[in-house]
Amino acid sequence: MSHQIALTVVAEVRPEAADDLRALLATMGDGVANDEVLDFGSFSGLHFARLVLVEESTDLKGDRLPASLLYMSDLDLPKGRHLGELADAGGDAIDRLFGHCVGYPQMPTTPERRLAYLRGHVVKEQARYVNTIGRTARQIRQEARLRDRIQVYLDEHADELRGRDPVEIRRELQQLVEDDAGLHWARRPAERTDRGFRLRELGHAVGIALLVLLLLPVLLLALPVYLVLLRWHERRDPAPHLKPTPELVQELAGLEDHLVQNAFTAIGLVKPGPFRRLTVRVVLAGIDYSTRHVFNRGNLAGVKTIHFARWVFLDDGRRVMFASNYDGSLESYMDDFIDKIAWGLNIVFSNGDGYPRTRFLILAGARDELAFKDYLRLHQVPTRVWHSPYGQLSAANINNNERIRAGLQGEAGAEKAEQWLRSL
Amino acid sequence: MAAQPVEPELADIQGLVARGYGDLTAATFLLGRIEDRGATRTWLAGVAELLTGASRRPEGRAVNIAFTSEGLRRLGLAADTVGLFSNEFVDGMAAPQRSRTLGDVGPDAPAHWDWGGPGAPVDLVLLLYATDGAELAALRTEPALAFPPGLQLVRELATSNLRGQEPFGFRDGISQPLVEGLSKKGPAATTLRFGEFVLGYPNEYGRLTDQALLDGAPEVGRNGSYLIFRQLRQDVRGFWRFLDGAARRLDGTADPEQRLRLAAKLVGRWPGGASLTLSPEVDDPARAEDNDFDYHDLDRHGALCPIGAHVRRSNPRDSLDPKPGTEKSLELNRRHRLVRRGREFGSQLTPDEALEDPPPGEKERGLHFICLNANISRQFEFVQGTWLNSPKFAGLYDDADPLVGPSKPYGGTFTIQSDGVRERLTDVPRFVSVRGGAYFFLPGLSAVRSLAGR
Repeated sequence: MSHQIALTVVAEVRPEAADDLRALLATMGDGVANDEVLDFGSFSGLHFARLVLVEESTDLKGDRLPASLLYMSDLDLPKGRHLGELADAGGDAIDRLFGHCVGYPQMPTTPERRLAYLRGHVVKEQARYVNTIGRTARQIRQEARLRDRIQVYLDEHADELRGRDPVEIRRELQQLVEDDAGLHWARRPAERTDRGFRLRELGHAVGIALLVLLLLPVLLLALPVYLVLLRWHERRDPAPHLKPTPELVQELAGLEDHLVQNAFTAIGLVKPGPFRRLTVRVVLAGIDYSTRHVFNRGNLAGVKTIHFARWVFLDDGRRVMFASNYDGSLESYMDDFIDKIAWGLNIVFSNGDGYPRTRFLILAGARDELAFKDYLRLHQVPTRVWHSPYGQLSAANINNNERIRAGLQGEAGAEKAEQWLRSL
Repeated sequence: MAAQPVEPELADIQGLVARGYGDLTAATFLLGRIEDRGATRTWLAGVAELLTGASRRPEGRAVNIAFTSEGLRRLGLAADTVGLFSNEFVDGMAAPQRSRTLGDVGPDAPAHWDWGGPGAPVDLVLLLYATDGAELAALRTEPALAFPPGLQLVRELATSNLRGQEPFGFRDGISQPLVEGLSKKGPAATTLRFGEFVLGYPNEYGRLTDQALLDGAPEVGRNGSYLIFRQLRQDVRGFWRFLDGAARRLDGTADPEQRLRLAAKLVGRWPGGASLTLSPEVDDPARAEDNDFDYHDLDRHGALCPIGAHVRRSNPRDSLDPKPGTEKSLELNRRHRLVRRGREFGSQLTPDEALEDPPPGEKERGLHFICLNANISRQFEFVQGTWLNSPKFAGLYDDADPLVGPSKPYGGTFTIQSDGVRERLTDVPRFVSVRGGAYFFLPGLSAVRSLAGR
């Protein structure tokens, strides 16, 4: 049916309004949104959402970077429809939140003006990751219900089912679905993304690959020059190991581990000069290509605990923001990064100011475990207001639930039935 | 990339790092609060002369000492220097944001602890070991060890010798990591870097843990280790009662064999020690100490040893991503190991005794869980939070560790995988509760002298 869309809204906060806004956000959540000001649960087709206040700071030249309010969400429907719902049903909350921002319409305002304001502040993501493209929030919740229903049945019939033939047990569970009108959707495989979308994606995959192939001779010629420049920068860029204060870690950790999932938001300054700015652009384009066409089925180069992620330029590319929704503690998330995709972290974040020293863009860097963990903590932005519609499901659970439903379809031989029983 | 082996300075490292003093079967732990810095430092200078080092096996008795971050401050270490230690240690075990990770919530919250929580903070622990009770009593009255006025005894934690079993009745301490530079040798592939446990040596990443401390205050940090201490009360009666109920036959009669089987499934080993993966049907004494096995090839789906069994999740071996069954998986596992040095307290109960009514005024029993590591957050807290407490461990749904997992509302399921339909226990109650705890630092011997101002 639908593919997933990321929405990012960035609005500059009026300097005198930052304190008010901070206080308002503090009433809206303590790491998980409480739905009091903005009822996230009421929006259709919504996966994750968050509101983040990025405090005022300065760039590497010492120029002021004003505070800004960020709204981010992952959607099963077009941006316009979600923005419309925000401007309409969520209108009061949008007024209260974005009323702190530069250029927000005078009160009383109208849904049209709100919508125009929000539309005017939508920014494009440089790259994004979706755990499984095409899987809707509705499907995730439905399939979790299916599994729960099957579990209850297995518990209730444990004694009769012991030692029975897997093929028969599977048939019995198919019948369970058949007999429950609320589960009839599970008699069909999950809907895929629509044909037009798949064709467009295929076109993109092939088109870009051909373009790169075409440019390959030029790129290969440029590579030695690039590598020399890269090593020159890598040796020269400062990489101090700074340690976050216990107070900072306490504040951030206090917002984490309320659900099975957590939100991570981090912002860093891109190192000065055109070399790094070009590198980070190319790298993020490469990441976006690979997450769209390769890492789109539950596995981001070995990391299987991320639901959604995005990389966004802020302040005309002077800063990069990374935001993700992941399972488990930050410690395990960072260990996953270091142990499984240190190269993938290095290739992006080593263009950020203060990152642990890399070699050839992919080596070392995050492998300096404690320096890397401290770097992430120091660049993390507190995420108080964060919404997850299925916060107690890990990505592994969601993927297994999908397997359970897929395994219900059609006939199965002994081996397939036995394998399927293991997913229960 | 072959790593250079290190020669640890064992003569400057406290003995507990190298050995658990298994032959010193009597032990007691004294928790102290420093009220007078001068008096405590004078006392500490005397204690320093009696401390047991790691270079050789002690004869008859052993003495070790460790400090909390507050203890280091009270001894006069500058706040800036204390700040060079890891944040976990500086915050302490009872800090609110740690409690969720550790599962110390509800009735287990630090506010209810007997010691280590806000009501009864501790600054140091003096660990005394001897061959038997009489020897320990003699050591206990050694004048140089007696707490002076100005060093308040918060609590003395007695231990008991359950002959290698933990209070639920299972053989304990089988799986200890092999560590380079120590006497027990093993294959290089399963031997951990010394720096995983002691500061000043390369760790599994080839780096020095707490580099800033080693640069800024090497005289305090070098050759030290973080010591995690948790007093865990075990509800042995509750454990066997729950299993007795879950194991009843359809006609309601007790089934001791099934009860034992379920208990072994929860633990992952039989009471005698044999792993379920190696000996799925019987408690095979020949397999009691067998520890040289992996899960992936023998038991990848958990049909023998359940995925959520206590020993499997506290040391998953080669069963986790990336690439289960390969060196990559073992390499990841090596970054989350602990050297365990715990001692039991209270008396032993057999399963049958446990099912009887308790005598009036029955004493608590449990484990003084003690472990050592160099990186509290990557090692102890990771194992506790991500492997034991998380109901989502290794793709599970609602299965926290059946023995030590945290309070509800989530995680009270225990799934027993099989080749057919899985069995599962639901609403598994909590059998272990936390009575106290703290993060200590076990300094090198010269560091103790330096803390004493000598």
